[in-house]
Amino acid sequence: MYQRIIALLKKDILLELRQQHTFYGILLYIASTVYVLHLSMPDNPDADVWNSLFWVIQLFVCVNTVAKSFLQESRGRMLYFYTIASPVEFIIAKLLFNLLLMLLMSIVSLVLFYILLNNPVNDGFKFIGIVLLGGISLSLVFSVMSAIAAKAQHNAALIAILGFPVILPQLLLLMRLSKSAFQEVFREGAILQLAGLIGLLDLLVIVMAVILFPYLWKE
Amino acid sequence: MGKNIVTRISFWFSRLALLPALLLICNTVTAQEKVEMADTMRSNGKIYIVVAVCVTILVGLFIYVMSIDRKIKKMEKEKTDF
Amino acid sequence: MNKSWWKILSFVLLLYTVICGFLLDVPRLPILNETIRNLYFHVCMWFAMMILFIVSFVYSIKYLRGFDYRNDIFAHNFASVGCIMGILGYATGIIWVSVTWVTDQGQSLGSVLKEPKLIGAAIALLIYGAYFVLRGSFTDIDKRARISAVYNIFAFAMLFPSIWIIPRLVGSLHPGAPGSDSGNPALDKNDMDAGMRAVFYPAVIGWTLLGAWIATLRIRIELLRDKKLLHG
Repeated sequence: MYQRIIALLKKDILLELRQQHTFYGILLYIASTVYVLHLSMPDNPDADVWNSLFWVIQLFVCVNTVAKSFLQESRGRMLYFYTIASPVEFIIAKLLFNLLLMLLMSIVSLVLFYILLNNPVNDGFKFIGIVLLGGISLSLVFSVMSAIAAKAQHNAALIAILGFPVILPQLLLLMRLSKSAFQEVFREGAILQLAGLIGLLDLLVIVMAVILFPYLWKE
Repeated sequence: MGKNIVTRISFWFSRLALLPALLLICNTVTAQEKVEMADTMRSNGKIYIVVAVCVTILVGLFIYVMSIDRKIKKMEKEKTDF
Repeated sequence: MNKSWWKILSFVLLLYTVICGFLLDVPRLPILNETIRNLYFHVCMWFAMMILFIVSFVYSIKYLRGFDYRNDIFAHNFASVGCIMGILGYATGIIWVSVTWVTDQGQSLGSVLKEPKLIGAAIALLIYGAYFVLRGSFTDIDKRARISAVYNIFAFAMLFPSIWIIPRLVGSLHPGAPGSDSGNPALDKNDMDAGMRAVFYPAVIGWTLLGAWIATLRIRIELLRDKKLLHG
């Protein structure tokens, strides 16, 4: 089972390396979005404004990064996977791949934010940790939404409609948590509590995905 | 034809269900005129008129829903004859 | 008539709610004054909405277990009546808020909208809005039923922890929230005395049953229509 998951993961990574235009497309998307923000914002944005902007951009980057993961698979290729792997293996490989991709994109957009939009963050390492945690949550939820939307005549706009209400609580938690990397002082243990909650929600998403994906898979 | 009935019924339900909300507006407005609670309204018995109005609307609403229920029941009986 | 006892129960309970809700004594609280009686109507809308959504969720699970098309009809009709209840809850909430929090407390509407309970309600309504959009994008009946059941289960499973989490995250004006300060004009669990409870709980049951009744009417119409399709 592990071997097949790793094989599927390798195939996704190889595909990504071959079809470089989609990868660079997302990079360009991030760069241009942050550049537009850089031009439209005042020179020294507040830490709060910076924080909310950052997470909103993360949200849109994630929609665009993860959206294609199921949409790009053609019907014939899906049938082929159907013969060689079980749905659980397939979804786990997809979740892992999207997770890796989103972590990479999170780092890229964070660096761009630092360069173009100032750096109000006090505790840099902590903020990177929170950003990675956020990348995990976003990629997991939107992978499942992408799997659902792929069944609905490959409608990319549907992913956003389906995903936003579901991701909202986690996004609020992340925004709250990332304030700890700015000036705000937190109660003892509150940071761990928030991070733990986000982790638990991620776990819930994974469990639900593994349980429900076989029903999406059937044709 | 069938869809038309459904949309029309659901439209009327949304209309009817709004009535309690409208009544609430009247209720809150009368309650706010007094600084304290609406005690005079209670003592001179006008509150019973409000209750009577609400009850009438509620009864009307239920009779209407019941008649729809009957109609559907009749249709269901006709269908089972086939 | 013996099968429709719960419809009569709904009628009796709502009659009781209206009569006793207006006539019985309520705790005298500042700012709220008589509007505290809205509890019997406005809050019941939210309770009814949540209960109907839970019923819809259960039918979605039942659908995935046996792929019985009837269960899908049940699930989406309960969800749509739940949405109507939720919209009514919003409408009544706006009316109530305009005389308590906004005017008497000087809150802006924007800060009121950031209420944790309002966020929870908004998420619930958005989820079911997305559910109906998703349903609309399919032409194949079986596929529509299956995929929307998956979304219903997934979204609802995410909704429950978030309703529990968000109030602990954002300060609240609403009753019973741990973060709320003492100037809170809404009622607390302690403010609701035994007399109010005696009206409130029957009211919740009454409104929920009315919602269920309307949902069953819609379901029966849909089943009839489908039979017409099948038998010509």
